[in-house]
Amino acid sequence: MASVKDRNASAWLLPPVPGTNHAMRANMAQFRDEDEVDVVIVGCGAGGSTLLQRLARAGWKAVALDAGPFWDPERDWVSDEAGSHHLYWTEPRIISGDDPVPLGSNNSGRGVGGSMVHYAGYTPRFHPSDFHTYSADGVGADWPLEYGELKAYYEDIEGELPVAGEHWPWGDPHSYPHSPHPVSGNGELFLRGALASGITAKVGPVAISNGRFGNRPHCIYRGFCLQGCKVNAKASPLVTHIPDALHHGAEVRADSMVTRIEIDDRTGKATGVHYVRHGRARFQRARIVAVAGYSIETPRLLLNSACKRFPAGLCNDFDQVGRYLMVQGAPQTAGRFESEVRMWKAPPPEVSSEDFYETDPSKPYKRGFSIQTVSPLPITWAEHVAAQGHWGGKLREYMSDYVHWACLGALCEFLPQPDNRVTLSSEKDRNSMPVAHFHYSQCDNDRQLMEAAQGAMEKILYGAGAEEVITIKRFAHLVGGARMAADEQRGVVDADCRSFAVPNLYITDGSVLPTQGSANPALTIMAVTARAANRLIAGGAGKATKTTQPARPATA
Amino acid sequence: MTALPLDANDGGGRFPGFDAQGQSSRWDRVTQGVVLARLGRPTDLRFFTVAEEAAARALFDQLLDQRQEPRVPVVNMVDARLAEDQTDGWHYEDMEPDPAAWRSTLAELDAEARERHERPFAELSCEEQTLLLTDIQAAEKWRGRQASRVWSLWTRYACTAFYSHPLAWDEIGFAGPAYPRGYKNLGLNAREPFEVADARPAQDPAPHKAKSETGRQR
Repeated sequence: MASVKDRNASAWLLPPVPGTNHAMRANMAQFRDEDEVDVVIVGCGAGGSTLLQRLARAGWKAVALDAGPFWDPERDWVSDEAGSHHLYWTEPRIISGDDPVPLGSNNSGRGVGGSMVHYAGYTPRFHPSDFHTYSADGVGADWPLEYGELKAYYEDIEGELPVAGEHWPWGDPHSYPHSPHPVSGNGELFLRGALASGITAKVGPVAISNGRFGNRPHCIYRGFCLQGCKVNAKASPLVTHIPDALHHGAEVRADSMVTRIEIDDRTGKATGVHYVRHGRARFQRARIVAVAGYSIETPRLLLNSACKRFPAGLCNDFDQVGRYLMVQGAPQTAGRFESEVRMWKAPPPEVSSEDFYETDPSKPYKRGFSIQTVSPLPITWAEHVAAQGHWGGKLREYMSDYVHWACLGALCEFLPQPDNRVTLSSEKDRNSMPVAHFHYSQCDNDRQLMEAAQGAMEKILYGAGAEEVITIKRFAHLVGGARMAADEQRGVVDADCRSFAVPNLYITDGSVLPTQGSANPALTIMAVTARAANRLIAGGAGKATKTTQPARPATA
Repeated sequence: MTALPLDANDGGGRFPGFDAQGQSSRWDRVTQGVVLARLGRPTDLRFFTVAEEAAARALFDQLLDQRQEPRVPVVNMVDARLAEDQTDGWHYEDMEPDPAAWRSTLAELDAEARERHERPFAELSCEEQTLLLTDIQAAEKWRGRQASRVWSLWTRYACTAFYSHPLAWDEIGFAGPAYPRGYKNLGLNAREPFEVADARPAQDPAPHKAKSETGRQR
């Protein structure tokens, strides 16, 4: 643990009281549009922020643009469900297909920190089997890298967030830097029901520090993890990577919507990005461009960057951009208990099981699902109840029973399919940029997993003594859309996240993942990016000037 | 403020004396500003036309079973969201963006009421309104649209407004904001000093049958 501060001092650069380091932001480096920076990064979420921190530490002149604000948790976030709507990406988008996937609050973040600002905080690793599902099971895809090549990066990121949990017996067994958190009534019932049903369940893995970490305080168990952590206990790049990046001379340029990547037709290389800030069209020059806009916005930006050399969209010579976009099937099953559960107390992420993660040869479907506690707040719970068809008096009656319900959620490994994809619509946003159209349909394997997961959750809840169970079918997370592959006919980037088509264009976000396992994707997005950063630094590509000193002294 | 009217048989009065707003001095100031604003004078309507307002009021009263004052001012809260285009952004390929979808589906609701009873929706009796909505909820297609998408548009906005209101929290035993205070008593049947036990814990809305039901998001 002593080494975390030496490689990422973010938690020590924050003030020892709630809030953020205002002086550090005020004194942040400011590059000029005319400066050719070493790297411009599009998007400041899990991928973009990790890359920014790694490259800034290596002395690169690095700037990250984000379409949303540079959050000040004390000022901008509230301990309230409806009042947190601004955390989501709410620009227009169109959804279609047999199973259209709602976006916005469901899976899309906005602003510095990205979706990790409002994710629950679960940070499981992928299993070794996730990296070659096609070879092993004939479904999904093989990655151009194996688990062993990511393992060291998983360990690094787990230390930096940091992650709390019991010893993890699944996949590649491992331990976590912080001990598991105490559990609430919801977690207690999951553990009880799992024991009764012969299912293994463990506390964690959750990116919420257990005890003080640097200047970040202990979790106060208030349960509003999905509304942004005002406490600074739950990890998001805003507190885990941005402070260290700024300290090493990086710039975060918020409120900057990138609309197009510029390509020099003569050299075939990227020269920078066009963006709109405060109503003005601007252009940032850069030696390297890294896109980290996540699975909807990254393909949208590439497709909108069509030029003479790439008439069908940047990096899209083989019609791969926007394809193989995945969501996880995420049914939630709730059980009614005569005891008071009050599931909203304590963080929603508490206990999980990966007993059903791997392919079970005795089942008709391939791959599997995981089960985790989820603890919906009243508005989300009302949606769960309303999905049963209840309204009017029956809805109010069910809602008055809120204290008695426990709720579990599954993550089902839906398979990557070429026709699940993002294209550009004829509808435009306020920057006159075509909006993304996301088409999604499930396959039979997906539907079977949803059914199986619901059955497993019902078994656990009945095992814990539930009198009644109700399920809502829903989706969670996004990955894919610009996947990594062995060659350019099957993907957009290589194992180092470098695009096949443009030698100085990288994609470092969830869109590069070829499969998704049954794991929440944030940790893997960060690990894949940390690996790409390491390779980039080792290769020395694009580094113009080396500055070993922090740009300015920063004090809390 | 008094409690929202709700009969004991429908789940009213399960948390006697519980008062979520009573904790407001323990909330951070930004959260106080956001939540307490919901208790003040409802915002003037800016989005709904007069005809849409009438239909929307009747619709929300039905969906949330608000039959008498005091009510959570759902129509004003939804109107404010739509006026500010505070939507989730996405829309189905075969539906308009939310503000336009609200206008058109309320117009269709009135049109349906006129076809059946020669009066707009708001002028129907409570029973006629309930029957009409029951039919829409059960339908596959409704007036050229997928009925489930219309239903989900209506219930999503209605529930988001209603269950953001401290009076609704009182009814369900939820104390609302929890920062910077947090919780110290986690676990089954564990309560904070300000929480109130359910007075009728056996009042399961679906009693005496172990059963499983499935719904679908949106």
